Amino acid sequence: MKNAKTVNYTQIDNQAATIVDEKDVVILNSSQAYDNYDWCREWYDEKPEEGYFVWVKKSCSETINTNVVVSSPSITQNAKNLVVIDEGVETKMQHNFVAKNNDLLANHTGTTKVVVKQGAKIEINHNLAWGNQDTVESSMDLILDKGADVVFSQRCQKVPKVFKLKHTNHLDDNANLDFVTTILADGGNIEMSDFTYLNGKKCKGLSTTRMIARKDTVIDSETQMIAASSGTGHIDCMGLLFGKECSIKAIPELINNDKEASLTHEASVGKISDEILNYLRSRGLTEEESIKLIIDGFLGDEEKITIEGVELAL
Amino acid sequence: MSYLSIKDLSTEIDGKGILNKLNLNIEKGETHVLLGPNASGKSTLLYTLMGFPDYKVKEGSITFDDKDITELEIEDRSKLGIAGVYQNPPAINVKLSKLLEKISDKKVELQGIEGLLDREVNVGFSGGERKLSEVVQVISLDPNFIILDELDAGLDVVNLEKLSNLIKEELSGKTILLITHRGRALKFFEPDYAHVMMDGQIICSSKNWKKIWQTIEEDGYEKCKNCELYTNR
Repeated sequence: MKNAKTVNYTQIDNQAATIVDEKDVVILNSSQAYDNYDWCREWYDEKPEEGYFVWVKKSCSETINTNVVVSSPSITQNAKNLVVIDEGVETKMQHNFVAKNNDLLANHTGTTKVVVKQGAKIEINHNLAWGNQDTVESSMDLILDKGADVVFSQRCQKVPKVFKLKHTNHLDDNANLDFVTTILADGGNIEMSDFTYLNGKKCKGLSTTRMIARKDTVIDSETQMIAASSGTGHIDCMGLLFGKECSIKAIPELINNDKEASLTHEASVGKISDEILNYLRSRGLTEEESIKLIIDGFLGDEEKITIEGVELAL
Repeated sequence: MSYLSIKDLSTEIDGKGILNKLNLNIEKGETHVLLGPNASGKSTLLYTLMGFPDYKVKEGSITFDDKDITELEIEDRSKLGIAGVYQNPPAINVKLSKLLEKISDKKVELQGIEGLLDREVNVGFSGGERKLSEVVQVISLDPNFIILDELDAGLDVVNLEKLSNLIKEELSGKTILLITHRGRALKFFEPDYAHVMMDGQIICSSKNWKKIWQTIEEDGYEKCKNCELYTNR
């Protein structure tokens, strides 16, 4: 893989982004991309005013970073993002969506399309940390061409007051998608829906959802795996409930339209079992330490969000 | 007073009595084996000694290293150096390396453990892997008193010998209570004392573990009460 510097895009509030460009990676504001490249217009409904455009033309060993930050009170954002990974390219991307403080009352709408062309291989991490008074509505279309291989991980460490997330994934022949969504909620009303369409032969889709509701939280999660060809798909939903006034509804749904396809699912929602807690306590951990360890294990390794030039109060 | 002293211990789970005025004394550095048929109360004794809250002590006392631990919380017993190798430990969505890092600063390097460290504890582990994970955790805790529950279950004889030798090497000089109904691990541990447990009581104790095991192997546990070593008449 080619050696490249880290590439950055940082949008603060509604300001045009600060961009650090790189030779084989084109990063623009979406509006500029719409003007510059006719071909990309098919992916936008209309000329966007905000959002990022990332076009990776050659493999890049460093992580490509984009940041969308809310910094001022009562900001309304309407970001339309497009990511295009060219054929055979291998790369990593990290997208951060962050509110600097809890009480900014932001209203963020984000629409993202990620197009992964034939044989490309990409690891994408979305880190979300919103203020607890924000309203966020986000949708993402992930389009995997033949033989594309995507590991996508979305982690929401701080949920907004109202949170709507919709993901739609399309897999062509031999494409492979490992899609993980992790939500740690300390309050809020969350609606999540993930739809994975196994359109191509021998494609593979894995959709994993991890939800933790700690207090005053309602999570409504729907995950669908739809097979139209001879692929394999698996849905894995797990929810942990703590405290009072919390609920999680998890609906895994399998729709199989091809007898050669194989779809499976597993789902569980509940509290941490006493058996596990007592086991860990018998290894010398307190109940509190045991719970923290289980939550950390549930969420995976913690990633601290840092954005160059932006002081974040996370 | 003995290092571990259990006196007239009666316990119940969900209102059902299991241990019934059980008495057991173990001196520091000794290895004891507790034999008994299924459902005789052996594992109940393990969980009661470990302090699991579902196992309610109704009567009697447990003293360890001159401290009454009858009412002590689980983690406090662990801090005193009591550790258990469980027969059926739960699956946990935490990597074994992370768990080891949290429970102890001691780094344990054992053959065969590398492949387990990056996996979630007991998730998809084979019987042998579960046992190895348990033993590694316990070794890392550097305990004073170890209870091994059915170590020989789910292990072939080669792996049982390997694991037994590992425990003896790594926990040399420690006090051990080996719980088993199969007795396959006996020859590897050569205990100082053997006890037979039935119906929640220890009905027989002897230094002659070979004789006790021979009786059980030949005639089964039911015949234990007719054995010349039977001490609880």
